Amino acid sequence: MASRTRQTLWVYLAWLALLHLKAGNDATAQQGSGEPRAHWAFQPVRSVAPPHPQTTAWMRNPIDAFILDGLEKASLSPAPRADAAQLIRRLTLALIGRPPSPEELEAFVRDPSADAYARLVDRLLDSPQYGERWARHWLDLARYAESDGFEHDAIRPAAWRYRDYVIQSFNGNKPYDRFIAEQIAGDLLWPETPAALVATGFNLLGPDMVDSADQVQRRLNTLNDMTDTTGAVVMGLTFGCARCHDHKTEPFTQRDYYQLQAFFAPASFQRERPVPTPEEQRIYDVAMRGYDAQTGDFRRAISALEAPARQHLLDEKLSKLSEDAQLAHRTPPAQRTREQEGTVQETAPMIQVTDREVEKALAPEQLRQRKEQLAKLNRVPKPTPLPLAMMLQSSNGPSPKTFILARGDYNNPREEVAPGYPAVLCRLKKAELPADPAPAPGSPRLNRDALAKWLTRPDHPLTARVLVNRIWQHHFGRGLVATPSDFGTRGAAPSHPELLDWLAAEFIRSGWHLKQLHRLILNSSAYQQSATATPDTLARDPDNRWFSRQTRTRLEGEVIRDSLLAISGRLNGAQFGPSVFPPIPADITRTSKNWTSDPEAAAHMRRSIYIFARRNLRFPFLEAFDSPDSNLSCPERGRSTTAPQSLTLLNSDDVMEAAGATAERVRRQAPDLNSQIQYAYRLILSRPPTPKELALSRQFIKTSDQRQLDSDRTQPQPEQGKNDRNAAQPPPGLREFCRALFNLNSFVYAE
Amino acid sequence: MQNDRPCSCPGPSGGWPGPPTSRRRFLERAGGGLGLIALATLLQEQGLLARAAPAPVPSPLAPKPPHFAARAQRVIFLFMSGGPSHVDLFDPKPELIRLAGQPIPESFGTFKTRRNVAKNKLLPPLRRFRARGQSGMEISDWLPHIASHADELCLLRGCYGDSVTHPESVYLMNTGSILMGRASLGAWATYGLGTENQNLPAFVVLPDPGGWVKGGAPAWSNGYLPAAFQGTLLRGGSAPILHLNTPAGVSSEQQAATVEFINQLNRQDLLAGDEQSELAARIAAYELAFRMQAHAPRVVDLSSESPATRELYGLDKKMTAEFGTRCLLARRLIEAGVRFVQIYCGDTNGWDGHSDMEGNHSRLCAASDRPIAALLTDLRARGLLDSTLLIWGGEFGRMPMSEGSDGRDHNPHGFSMWLAGGGVHPGQIIGGTDALGLRATTDKTHVHDIHATILHLLGLEHERLTFRRNDRDERLTDVAGQVIRQAVG
Repeated sequence: MASRTRQTLWVYLAWLALLHLKAGNDATAQQGSGEPRAHWAFQPVRSVAPPHPQTTAWMRNPIDAFILDGLEKASLSPAPRADAAQLIRRLTLALIGRPPSPEELEAFVRDPSADAYARLVDRLLDSPQYGERWARHWLDLARYAESDGFEHDAIRPAAWRYRDYVIQSFNGNKPYDRFIAEQIAGDLLWPETPAALVATGFNLLGPDMVDSADQVQRRLNTLNDMTDTTGAVVMGLTFGCARCHDHKTEPFTQRDYYQLQAFFAPASFQRERPVPTPEEQRIYDVAMRGYDAQTGDFRRAISALEAPARQHLLDEKLSKLSEDAQLAHRTPPAQRTREQEGTVQETAPMIQVTDREVEKALAPEQLRQRKEQLAKLNRVPKPTPLPLAMMLQSSNGPSPKTFILARGDYNNPREEVAPGYPAVLCRLKKAELPADPAPAPGSPRLNRDALAKWLTRPDHPLTARVLVNRIWQHHFGRGLVATPSDFGTRGAAPSHPELLDWLAAEFIRSGWHLKQLHRLILNSSAYQQSATATPDTLARDPDNRWFSRQTRTRLEGEVIRDSLLAISGRLNGAQFGPSVFPPIPADITRTSKNWTSDPEAAAHMRRSIYIFARRNLRFPFLEAFDSPDSNLSCPERGRSTTAPQSLTLLNSDDVMEAAGATAERVRRQAPDLNSQIQYAYRLILSRPPTPKELALSRQFIKTSDQRQLDSDRTQPQPEQGKNDRNAAQPPPGLREFCRALFNLNSFVYAE
Repeated sequence: MQNDRPCSCPGPSGGWPGPPTSRRRFLERAGGGLGLIALATLLQEQGLLARAAPAPVPSPLAPKPPHFAARAQRVIFLFMSGGPSHVDLFDPKPELIRLAGQPIPESFGTFKTRRNVAKNKLLPPLRRFRARGQSGMEISDWLPHIASHADELCLLRGCYGDSVTHPESVYLMNTGSILMGRASLGAWATYGLGTENQNLPAFVVLPDPGGWVKGGAPAWSNGYLPAAFQGTLLRGGSAPILHLNTPAGVSSEQQAATVEFINQLNRQDLLAGDEQSELAARIAAYELAFRMQAHAPRVVDLSSESPATRELYGLDKKMTAEFGTRCLLARRLIEAGVRFVQIYCGDTNGWDGHSDMEGNHSRLCAASDRPIAALLTDLRARGLLDSTLLIWGGEFGRMPMSEGSDGRDHNPHGFSMWLAGGGVHPGQIIGGTDALGLRATTDKTHVHDIHATILHLLGLEHERLTFRRNDRDERLTDVAGQVIRQAVG
């Protein structure tokens, strides 16, 4: 009896313990509370089978099983499919960043075949404009800009190559693991591939105070910036907080932070380095040999003339540097330590001897001889220079030491650390170990290529999850994890954790291919839902937590501007190359003086991704629509609604010019007012007007034309050129109508 | 210095368009206002303004209660870009006269400079200091008009910052960090308090027409705060805000008709059963834009100011007209309910007297002294000074030793600023520098402390005014800052 009771008690206790354990696990999985190391995002991606919801007819692919399961559990049903016109508009804006042309619209709406939609997705993904659209999302994350910021905001002439690299990577469907590995350590992993060298520019894209009074701090700022950005962009982790102290809310220590930073510490930061293909290099070498042979005598003569003056000037400048710096400069390059290399690079501008200074130092006779030789030299054309890029490069000598810095202050170094991975991501059970743990003291140092490989391991718990979530975010207006660069314990819990894992696993299985991921998402019924909510859905899923409909999102400034150009028939589709400077309002250039617009009008019509990204002067049209400020990684743009936005769309030259050109296009295309209105609606809003809209539009255009006529009659214009102008300028009704359509919610939003 | 011409004061005919003189232009502008009335009437007739419209979205700029009773309702920040010299303006140093021509004594130790001037000879103050007012506060002869208000100033002589360079120090003074990309003081203030006049921007920046401060637009950025809190650049004249004016070739009647047509079509969307607040907000934004078209030109129109007021601000003198105009504009903006106005004094180089301190500071003092004094007088006369906080200061001060023969290098280790109005304790001096004005030594106030104090005067606790970003509660004062108790009484 006693034994039996004891037995029952044991069973009961065990059951209680199990219950307790399970409750704990559920809580952890759902809210990320409890033991931080047990947080869901630090666990391996689970292998999940899609659920089996009751209604199967709606489902097009496994994504729908997950979404529908969630909807059913919340007693919701999905929204009906959007109509064909909405679908092509939504897709075209999402994938290539402009609305469909009336012809594309017409063809799709009239295509009855079952695979019309899937073919449309394929066509758009194959468009070279896909890369231009999606590169922008990545450039936001990469805090991309083409100037240094701070006082001088000097231009980085080679920065655009990184932008082109991203566009080409997206267009070429480069596997994401390779894309990341190239950016972290392309110089070490594929030193012969120019694109992989350009990719490492990712680490140097942040602001930089070139003329900082404290060059040690400057280098540290850059290292901090690349450590923080890698953590946030690739892993969705807020490592930056652990720079000054152990993270208060996440299981990251200061040691983790500086171990990660130690991977980057040996790199030298190259601002303009040649990145030729072997072929380009070969051609250049041949040309250079020819050039050397032709000009050798002149150059030697010039050097000989200048040498004493140059040496004197150099010595003078060198003597003003610190003793360490002087020693570094006097050490032959191959023998310099890593610190000395850094010092040389940082102080090089201070000891640069300019031609002007040399000229001043020369005697008149020497000056005359030099001029003579120079004239001969300049007659020989120089070979085309090699392409340049910003990049990381490994360097000579022993690696610099990395220390844990108390409060992030380099004057307060504590313990020395070697490169290593965040402990929390290495502490899983052996079978699930996603990482080589931090190396034991004395073992060979890990390099940046090891970091690149570790980040892109198929069993890394974060890299794939973070990326699929970003893609989902752009297609649905919100990620499955609503904090796309914060997967930590304080980030938002995933709304559909199983779907997130299923997508991540599928993504890795497909070879990390982004286009396949897009295809999967875009072909789901979930994506194709209408954005219109019934009152019932609105009441029960007000925040669209369950994706019970599509999300209506305001278009980015780039898409609005590109659409204005495309619709008005003026878009210059040229791809790649140095950035362009379209005009900006004179009000701004009057005081900022940092913008000289391109003389060629064609350059003004390039897609917005090719507009020069100046740190201290954001392009005003884009700025009004929340373009990020490019100083910090931006995972999600603001979607503000402000009066300056309305003023920009109402009154800016960009919109007035687009309205005028669109009115012309509409006038040419359609013979009478009704068909002009019809055409303009299709062109600008991708749909026909309702009868009421048609009536309102007719009335508005006629009244506007009449208003102009009346005013011309009552306010006689100056004699000169009056008739010419009236003959050349059509009545303003249609232009005002187009301007109005550009200001509509249905133009500025995708639904 | 680099600029020989007095380019910060081009007079009314310079970069700043003067007040509108033509009656026709005024009427053209008022057209916007008439259109607005027409629009409002129309909306009311259709029952759309009050009843049928969806629940209004609270504007991010709607007035918000402070954390505790505020002393100051608004701020005018007079930013002396380039770094004015405290040892020549507000911080008398007899020792600097005594030791002039000698190197700084070794007892002062080592310190960072921008241009390696540490071993240069000490340069005596360039103007005589005198005790002023009841308080006896010593201010130099370079600023006689401001000096006559000494009893209204709360002078901070022990300020210090973190960097010897312009942009880092400009960012620090404006955003609390020497790094780029943080939210500015004006953005934080409007984030905390909203604004009183929804027809005007909440945070207005009046840049110097000669050029932006070093570091540029990030100095008035919203940083990671929502875009609504970004500083709006404003100029005088008929087009005070970017894209405010009706495009060329469009009559004001047509503009009103087009805006009405837009709103009519946008409302169709809403009436089709869509209650999305964002779309309703866009309609509201068009209405606000339209109201701004009417209001902003009126606020910047100085034609209603009396000749006496214009003279007070120095609009009648070439030297003071430009800066005086902007000071007068600042008062009008504050009066109209704008929360935060920042005026930059000095072009891109501004007060940066690396050489020819004499010429540089003479010019800028002459341009700004009288208008700033006028602002104090005028705000007092209108009963606005007690509720308006005035801040005077640059990104740093200047070194006691010379650069070249007649310049001074940057000095973030010790410098002066002053506060006035807005409930600050007037007529007192807080903190001080060492005998030569090199470093703040007594009752030192870091930039974070000054920010904490400014927010405190606005009724905001700097540790509670936070914005969550990437798992961190960001604030203007980072992890530091203490309210300067002596200043707030």
